[in-house]
Amino acid sequence: MAQTPGQTQPPQGAPQATPQGAPASGQGQPPAGAKPVQVPRPTVPPEFDGLPIWKMEPAKLLALVKDPASTVFQKAIACKKLAFVGGRDAIQPMAALLSHPQLSCYARFGLEPNPDPLVDDVLRAALPKLKGKLQIGVITTIGVRKDAKALDALIGLINDSDAEVAGAAAASVGMIGGLQAAKALQSALGGTKPPVFPVVARACLICAEGLMAGNRPRALELYTQLSATTMPGPVRLAALRNLNAAGPAPPGAKAYPPPTGEAAENDKSGFLGRGR
Amino acid sequence: MAEEKQAVTRRRFGRAVAQAGAAAAVPAVLAGTASGQIATPAPGQVGPVLVGNYAMVDQIRVGGIGIRGRGMADLRMMLGDERVKFVAIADIRNSAREMVKSTVDNYYKNNDCVMYKDPTEILERKDIDALLIATSDRWHGPMAMWAAQSGKDMYIEKPGAMSIAESYAMAENVKRYGVVYQSGCQRKNQYAFEFAVGLARSGKLGRLLAVHADTAIGLGTVDAGGHGWWAADAPEPDPLVFDWDKWLGPCLWRPYNSHYADRGRGEFWDFHAGLLEWASHTVAMAQWAADMEHTEPVEYEPEGGIFRGDGLISRYTINCRYANGIKLVLRNHSWDLLGSCSNRFEGTEGWVETGDSGRIAVSENLKSLLPTRQGKRYDPTAEHIREFIQCIRSRTPPRANAEVTAHTHVASHAAWICAQLNRKVTWDPAKRMFINDEEANRMRSRAYREPWRMEALATNM
Repeated sequence: MAQTPGQTQPPQGAPQATPQGAPASGQGQPPAGAKPVQVPRPTVPPEFDGLPIWKMEPAKLLALVKDPASTVFQKAIACKKLAFVGGRDAIQPMAALLSHPQLSCYARFGLEPNPDPLVDDVLRAALPKLKGKLQIGVITTIGVRKDAKALDALIGLINDSDAEVAGAAAASVGMIGGLQAAKALQSALGGTKPPVFPVVARACLICAEGLMAGNRPRALELYTQLSATTMPGPVRLAALRNLNAAGPAPPGAKAYPPPTGEAAENDKSGFLGRGR
Repeated sequence: MAEEKQAVTRRRFGRAVAQAGAAAAVPAVLAGTASGQIATPAPGQVGPVLVGNYAMVDQIRVGGIGIRGRGMADLRMMLGDERVKFVAIADIRNSAREMVKSTVDNYYKNNDCVMYKDPTEILERKDIDALLIATSDRWHGPMAMWAAQSGKDMYIEKPGAMSIAESYAMAENVKRYGVVYQSGCQRKNQYAFEFAVGLARSGKLGRLLAVHADTAIGLGTVDAGGHGWWAADAPEPDPLVFDWDKWLGPCLWRPYNSHYADRGRGEFWDFHAGLLEWASHTVAMAQWAADMEHTEPVEYEPEGGIFRGDGLISRYTINCRYANGIKLVLRNHSWDLLGSCSNRFEGTEGWVETGDSGRIAVSENLKSLLPTRQGKRYDPTAEHIREFIQCIRSRTPPRANAEVTAHTHVASHAAWICAQLNRKVTWDPAKRMFINDEEANRMRSRAYREPWRMEALATNM
């Protein structure tokens, strides 16, 4: 059945969709032409009302994070606000929460966008003290912040017995990039197995992309390695596209002989390379 | 002969042309061969172009992730396209998995749709070419990146990213892995919007002065209130029935309460992309009309808004300006009642406004250009999905591709940040940062909860 505009038929038995033209993810949205309405605020449990915290000055937020008597909720909202307004003095108190199972994500949320280099110092210091998911979180934040000083530690973690940790480390090494990262990831391509190996390959791809502007020969070397048939399919295709974009294959690459036989002999177009 | 003449009525002629076209489009695969087995093209026949796993010669095998209300509308349209074979569903909700399987199996009259709890199982299936992703907002960015890394094309609902950084990272991954990305911005294939954009881009409005975008909803999370509260603790359900940890995904941890998943998504900054609920549609159309799809406005200034501290916000306008002086106006009031998600484009020689009703209003001097028939002409979702399928086969970017989607999202997020700060901000599209505004710059990204991560160069920008 060929489809043309307006002829697509809904399948029999399928439930009715949301009204045509309603915005995507449109559960609970007003009908067409409706004016904006103010939705009444739902009942908020008093112990989970964070608005007073959200309106606090940074000094009070910091006091809340430091106070052992503060609840998880209070510290969480304070860290969240400190992500936007926290200064250098907020870094150590939030770093102290990196080992907290529930608050670690809030601490990283607060630390990650803070441009102060002290954040990198505290994250590097926390890295060896953590395990499992909490360590993965710190590894990821280091990668996002592109802290090259953490490369030695992260490269060491690519061989961690926890595959999740190893994968996170490889990904962060790729995002940090540079020659040291490239060397380590190239080495890891030969020394890791799934599920870490595909992450290493993707990290290597990102690393090559980062090198392309400043060290093109090294980037092309990485792309060539990633274009091998042993690489994960999507990575290999991406590497091949980059190699194609970079220019023709180098001298010495496999060359195909010109066409022969009756068809080629009789060809008058020149299309087969004989141009008569 | 008489029979032949009788056969070529106009309707039959159309059918014959369609059949001939279908025959011509049949690629060089022997009938009955398994998907992906390519035969040598016959002389004069154009062979299929196989890229990665794409068995374009047969049907495009599609898997779904997180399909409920809106996703079911997309699914209906996909099932109605014979180029698609829907083969699997992944969802953290048992009930949603079963609903999709039931719909798909009922349509195909078999029991073949495979159910997964974990989306990574679908991503690992090498026989699946493309994905329909219709999770909630917070998962769109990570899922898009995972899909790209798995070499799968995707039709993905909007908003496509929860932050400026995630917008760039999403587009970067799609570009890196060369996959086809179509955002669920179906108005890009809706006649009334196409007409309005056409007027702007063809010069019928003269020099463009301003493009307006309706941002009516997504207001509850624009300022402080969305950050400020948790629902009461409740016992976590069995992960086999509802996996709370996976529902949260990259969002900050909080104790379980059914309120979040059932109806409270829009009340919380953590789970909702705020202005982008509509802006991801209407700003996309505005950028398209202004030929600004590959950049963002450089200035954002709130005007006349009542940005209250309790998370509610009433009438507001956010005035933005592109580097060339054209204005982008985001507002939730004073529309011409032409339907939800309205757009208005104004130039030196006229204006046009339209919305989801399909009706189009123009300035007096342009009325002769109006189409004779107003209102909805066809289902834009069907047309949008049709374009997606076509682009999978042609390997070309669709209208709502990742790059233009990223720029739309960056513009909308920047406007949202302006609203949250309730002050003017200035943006540098080349450096991808706000100028002299550290607080705004810190709001460009959201740290992922462990163990989730984004693999991208565009991280701290």
